[in-house]
Amino acid sequence: MRSDSGKIIDLKTAVERYVFDGCTISLGGGIAREPVAVVREIVLQGRKDLTLAGAAETISAEILVGAGCLRKIEMAYLWIGVVGQGRNFRRAIEKEIPNKPEMEDYSMYASSMRILAGSMGIPFLPIKSVLGSDISKFNKKLKIIQDPYTDEEVVLVPALNPDVTFIHVQYCDPLGNARILGNLGNDPTLARAARRTIITCEKIISEEEIRQNTMMTSIPHYCVDAVVKVPYGAHPEPVDGIYAIDEPFIWNFAEQSKSREGFCEWMEEWVYHCPQQSDYCEKLGKGRLDALSDVEKKFREGMIE
Amino acid sequence: MDGYAKEYEGSHLMAASVSRMIKDGEMIIVGIGLPLIAAAIARLGHAPNSTTCFEVGCIGTNSKRMPWSVADSACSDHALASLEMWRMLSDVQRGFIDVGVIGGAQVDRYGNLNSTVITGSDGSYYNPKIRMPGSGGSNDIASSCRRTIIMMRLQEKKFVKNIDYMTSVGHLKGWDSREKAGLLGTGPEAVVTDKAIFRFDSTTKEMYLSEISQYSTIEEVVRLVDWDLKISPDVTIMKPPTKKEMNLMLNLDSAGVVLGSGIRLDDFDKYIKSMMNVYHLSKANVFP
Repeated sequence: MRSDSGKIIDLKTAVERYVFDGCTISLGGGIAREPVAVVREIVLQGRKDLTLAGAAETISAEILVGAGCLRKIEMAYLWIGVVGQGRNFRRAIEKEIPNKPEMEDYSMYASSMRILAGSMGIPFLPIKSVLGSDISKFNKKLKIIQDPYTDEEVVLVPALNPDVTFIHVQYCDPLGNARILGNLGNDPTLARAARRTIITCEKIISEEEIRQNTMMTSIPHYCVDAVVKVPYGAHPEPVDGIYAIDEPFIWNFAEQSKSREGFCEWMEEWVYHCPQQSDYCEKLGKGRLDALSDVEKKFREGMIE
Repeated sequence: MDGYAKEYEGSHLMAASVSRMIKDGEMIIVGIGLPLIAAAIARLGHAPNSTTCFEVGCIGTNSKRMPWSVADSACSDHALASLEMWRMLSDVQRGFIDVGVIGGAQVDRYGNLNSTVITGSDGSYYNPKIRMPGSGGSNDIASSCRRTIIMMRLQEKKFVKNIDYMTSVGHLKGWDSREKAGLLGTGPEAVVTDKAIFRFDSTTKEMYLSEISQYSTIEEVVRLVDWDLKISPDVTIMKPPTKKEMNLMLNLDSAGVVLGSGIRLDDFDKYIKSMMNVYHLSKANVFP
């Protein structure tokens, strides 16, 4: 039984306590609502030899790969988005700079079903995707068998039980009941699959507020080990209903990442010189953050969230 | 606003062509960019009862602005539903999604796609010349949608004899190999490019040239395809986008996220202004 009391901690403690060298880590969200503040803290604490496992990541993966934190990648999609290329990922696989993680390619569905299997406490799940493709040919963990009932071929995907996952959500209560708005990723399922689940949130709400809107609870508290309040914890990614995507920031990261030196300069400026989330937000400026919030709220006028 | 547009670009032609392949009432799954524009103008035109969904789980987005990614907050903006990824892609596998629009860096004569690695002459999957993003949901859509439409530009080194890695399966080795491999759905129905449309022979499942843009020639198309391309005896001209379709496209993407370089990404203030402008310009929720 996971402890229900005293779950609220700070970000540095969460990373210190739950992320260890060599662990398998999954990140919530995916292309949006990634726990980017967590990733910066992992780099600041010098974690290494990590296996990044999941479905899709953008800037979070680029930072971890570029900082040399990863020993292995088990993913279906790794890039920066439409405004550039995943230059750090490319440099790592093509040129071994800063190092070359072992690559295990999946499809989005195969990865998602790994997480589902992991969440159910079973060793694998069968799918029909990836049959006939090079994904199942090169990835030895995907096993093609004959279904014992019909003799048809199916692909088995192994369960994913990461040592730790960080999921950034809009609202969470002190017990760990989390409310996600909009895009869910695989987060409610990932929260169960991981051995340790840490929720970072934009805002802490009360248990009463959670109970007033029962159907909106995405993750029940018994899946959660710790809760951390991290405002703008997914910036520059969007957090549905709270702030829009900061595409110029991502574009700038992609531009600087065109060279190794450019990426290192970006890291100096945005990671090493911002030891706290508050430093990072101060550097961005209230005006910028407010503008992103205003845009998001404007477009979602009329929605009940 | 009758008649065809007098001036248009390859991207507009591709979007209009794909849009016309979508039938009313269909469930469509797309990535962002041109496939999304195609689905949107279909819904605003001849397919008002169609619904678009994204592989990461949002169904029926109704934002006033063009999403920046398949998981952008615009995707859940006034949407019908938001599902977990595993559920959305299970719905694809179960057969709920009628058509998927996908692309790739390389395609072969059977419509198999590569978006994982370019090996180069002396490289391999493990040591590639170019590493690309990977499948994303492309393989799953290609494997299980009732049918797919491939959308990519016709350029050198894209239409190749042998793709370096099979990320997403089309007709596999042709004939009934796809069905024998245990994949669902009927596979790719067409490859829509900025210069030509290719379809697949109903028996051999090999790609053939079916339609050609008014600005291209058969010679040019043959030159850009690396294998001995089959050509239909009745090649027709690709219908240009109509004025109405052009108008819809330009309104949907008034900030130029997909179709142009309208939006300034090196200037945060201009970016915010563009987004707010889109909001004010839209008289109604034009984005389906």
